[in-house]
Amino acid sequence: MTDSDLDIVYTRLCKTMTQLGEPNASFFLARFAMLAIDAIDDPAVALNLIDDASEGMSE
Amino acid sequence: MEFKTYPFTAQKYTAKIPMLDNGIELERHAVTIVGGGPVGLAVALGLANHGVPSVLIEADDSVCYGSRAICISRRSLEIIERLGAVAGFLKTGLPWTGGRSFYRDTEVLHFKMPQDENQKLPPMVNLAQYHIEQFLLDAAEKKADLIDIRWQTRVTAIDSHTKGATLTLATSEGDYSLNTDWVVACDGGRSTIREALGLQLKGTSYEGRYVIVDIELESDRPTERLAYFDPPSNPGSTVLVHKQPDNVWRIDYQLRDGEDPEQAVKPENVTPRVQNLLDMMGERAAWAPIWITIYKANALTLESYRHGRVLFGGDAAHLVPIFGVRGANSGIDDADNLAWKLAFVLQGLASEGLLDSYSAERVFAAHENLSYGTKSTEFMAPPSFAFELMRKAVLSLAIRHERVRSLINPRQTSAITYTASPLNAAETTPGAFTAGPAPGAVLSECPLTTVEGGNAREAHLTDLVRPRFTALYFSENGSVPAEFFALEETLQGEKLPFKLIPVSARLHPETYSDHHWDHTGRLFVMYGAKPGSVYLVRPDGHVLGRWHAAVAADIAAAIHHALHT
Repeated sequence: MTDSDLDIVYTRLCKTMTQLGEPNASFFLARFAMLAIDAIDDPAVALNLIDDASEGMSE
Repeated sequence: MEFKTYPFTAQKYTAKIPMLDNGIELERHAVTIVGGGPVGLAVALGLANHGVPSVLIEADDSVCYGSRAICISRRSLEIIERLGAVAGFLKTGLPWTGGRSFYRDTEVLHFKMPQDENQKLPPMVNLAQYHIEQFLLDAAEKKADLIDIRWQTRVTAIDSHTKGATLTLATSEGDYSLNTDWVVACDGGRSTIREALGLQLKGTSYEGRYVIVDIELESDRPTERLAYFDPPSNPGSTVLVHKQPDNVWRIDYQLRDGEDPEQAVKPENVTPRVQNLLDMMGERAAWAPIWITIYKANALTLESYRHGRVLFGGDAAHLVPIFGVRGANSGIDDADNLAWKLAFVLQGLASEGLLDSYSAERVFAAHENLSYGTKSTEFMAPPSFAFELMRKAVLSLAIRHERVRSLINPRQTSAITYTASPLNAAETTPGAFTAGPAPGAVLSECPLTTVEGGNAREAHLTDLVRPRFTALYFSENGSVPAEFFALEETLQGEKLPFKLIPVSARLHPETYSDHHWDHTGRLFVMYGAKPGSVYLVRPDGHVLGRWHAAVAADIAAAIHHALHT
């Protein structure tokens, strides 16, 4: 994935979430996370991502 | 807190009335440029390079005052060098190559703009817009025989028709009108000419607002772009800091949601935020505000920059967000694209269709600039909760996860490639060139040695771009087949500005014929060139076409195609 690809995906995610509205944001991101876990298809990687994503969030 | 003034004194100019007959100027003009900002001055200088005279109408009595464009890109400097004004930019401007972004108190991105040993000019210089205008004006005043500046003169009406336009002008010394074959409207974001023709900019306006403050502060901090997201000094805000010459600093910060813009620009509300920021940065010296204004990002453009005999450039044609510094820089590129085309049409060397290609190429460039500018704006001033939430995710992850950092990059301005330009000469064998700028792209810089009249000197490839078509003929020893010299003679006979430039792989000391030696050996590689390759370059430095084993007829056909599309 190039920087430009990342940009496109990021913007699409933001725009989709904007359309769904703030009350639906967590549900949407949860569904996206499930699909991403499936696509990653590697439990070790997915478990690491869960740790990385939660790191520092409780500050 | 006391305001200071900018450390710059502008010369004031008075209005002058030309020779009139019944309130109408006696002389009819070929080109009248409306607006004496950087774009209008660049158009006048560009036309003058082709020997075309112009009248330039400016409402003010001097170069501008106040907080405006401050970052000038390498591409703009290349153009300004051809306009004869670059010395001041390089002497006064502060060169820089990158910047840093911080999330809270941690650095999350250190970006660098393209810079290597091939470059002649820095990727960016910072200087105030009054400097930018002054250096262009100094160059224009040296060409007073071709550039007639009318200060303190305002356009109050325009009557445009198929053969030109009549402009009604108001000055402190009285009103008059003038007739002109062409009008170039460079009269800024609130363009009078655009309004008068009933044209509208289309696109997106963003809600997020920024306060822009110029302050005086003595500091030896290096020149780089600093961006602070949610800094401890101004929680929840985004702050940008740029250094300008003469101890002037530009600070931009985002307003909080629901904050009243009128209140926000009051000095008593600005001072504590700037003080907090400077405390956090460790800047202890005394400072004073010079200028405070409010900014709202726009991503807007006209659908066409040519309306009969009226041509639009700069902010009059498009408004791009400040993030990525594409405003003045894209306007200077407009001027560079337009000047040679208008000159060629006026001199009978091209059909008017060439001016439609100005619109096609620069509208395309505006859309490219807007798409990058929009991405930057969506990050710098998130337009919805989703962009805000995702930005927070990116910034907080960027500390440890390098991969997401590219999303923070401000996507600084770069030259636009006119990939689909109607002028481009189609590549006869697609893929024949494995490297180098394709038709529509600007030349990539490379050092070379210029051998002229038996003397050799260090030079750069972009030095060869002049107000003409330039054919770079690559060879082993600088020799060029006779048919190319015949072509040069034929075109010069047609008064068509053209020059054949031999580029050689080896120094050719035994000859007195001029050539340019690729002494680093990098030029041939960068351009995918072999002996017999030709790059044909437009007067604005964009590649028109390129060939291996070129024949003179290819070059002639490409030029004639471009001029008579």
